[in-house]
Amino acid sequence: MIGAINTKALQELAWVAPLAVLAVTVAWGLVVHGTTRATECSRAGQSRSASLYAAEAIAGGVLFAAALAFGLVIMTAKD
Amino acid sequence: MENDIILVIVVVTALAFDFTNGFHDTANSVATSISTRALAPRTAVTLAALLNFVGAFISIKVAATIASGIVDSGIVTTTVIFAGLVGAIFWNLLTWYFGLPSSSSHALIGGVVGAAFAAAGADAVKGAGLLEKVIVPALVAPMIAFLAAGGAILITYRMVGRLRPGPVNRGYRIGQIASLSLLSLSHGTNDAQKTMGIIALALITHGNLNPGDDPPTWVIVSAATAIAAGTYSGGWRIIRTMGSRIIKMDPAQGFSAQTGGAAVLLTAAHLGFPLSTTHSITGAVLGAGAAKRLSAVRWGLAGNILLAWILTLPAAGVVGALTYGLSRIFGTGALGPLLISVSLVALMAAIFGKRLRRGPALTTAPVDA
Repeated sequence: MIGAINTKALQELAWVAPLAVLAVTVAWGLVVHGTTRATECSRAGQSRSASLYAAEAIAGGVLFAAALAFGLVIMTAKD
Repeated sequence: MENDIILVIVVVTALAFDFTNGFHDTANSVATSISTRALAPRTAVTLAALLNFVGAFISIKVAATIASGIVDSGIVTTTVIFAGLVGAIFWNLLTWYFGLPSSSSHALIGGVVGAAFAAAGADAVKGAGLLEKVIVPALVAPMIAFLAAGGAILITYRMVGRLRPGPVNRGYRIGQIASLSLLSLSHGTNDAQKTMGIIALALITHGNLNPGDDPPTWVIVSAATAIAAGTYSGGWRIIRTMGSRIIKMDPAQGFSAQTGGAAVLLTAAHLGFPLSTTHSITGAVLGAGAAKRLSAVRWGLAGNILLAWILTLPAAGVVGALTYGLSRIFGTGALGPLLISVSLVALMAAIFGKRLRRGPALTTAPVDA
């Protein structure tokens, strides 16, 4: 009966799922960190730092959007 | 004529199950967003209901069997399906009453397993399938989601912990709306499809649909509508449990729990290892709370939820078996399912009527949700 368990998928899931959560968490963390710091720097007149933080936020946003798009692909492609 | 009546009863019962599935599982996608005030309660359930409706149309690759690989497909008749649905509806309503999140899919499997057991004995139930498709995922989902969401909140605090809380909280509330949308869409795709599968199977058995054909449009629309209506009704008792009774969460925790749960679910689906939404999200909520502070989690309540998960299969199974047995007292025709349906509708009307006299039961969001 134990042989019925798909241990390969289970092992893969054990490291891929936390990795996916980590990627999404870091992506949105970059968005929040970048926008917050960009706003602060912009108010302090540090335009160069503000631009860098804005770029960080955009990079995080692109990663997060890609993760959402991948989620949608999984949903539509399921058997 | 008699077969037509059974078909109508199974279709109506399947849609009733779909409705309870919607309002029982609303909490999975909206609870954390409501408790962190990312969205107002009514806005959250409206968005979730709309996306559940849309999700039902994303994929219509309906399996013409339920509990496939778990019970012998040869003994699955419309009466077995009806009895299984009654078992699942019973368990959904009972756990909703006590505000405990539990898996609607496992309740349905439990109901069908119980009915199949009553119909054909132990040989009808495939232990290996039960282990692979129910027991192992039920153990794996909350554990992985717990660890992943716990890790996620630690990383989140590390990244944004020193920033001003106002903009950070606003940022994570916006992120929660995205994860709520993804979860609701995913729920509509998965769970409305189960109802479509049940109705399609009944239509195939009745000779109205060829095996392998797509279900008729009315089946898709009615399943989508029932799950959306259930979601819109909002199972506020479970929403309160998941949103504020297990832990009091901040927006970053809400985001970690919701996004962590969603990422685990979708990754598992991608690897061909489907997990329960309820188990994943509940595990993630516990993880997001425990990683911040172990004592922040109400472990007594978590124990009650665990007990409900353990009891899901046997309890729905016993009701499924009893329903099948009662139906067969009246023969193999439509009389048994008809009498049971009428009795159950009358009983539920009496219970809800009594509850409604004390105030709105299903349709109003609690102030502290």
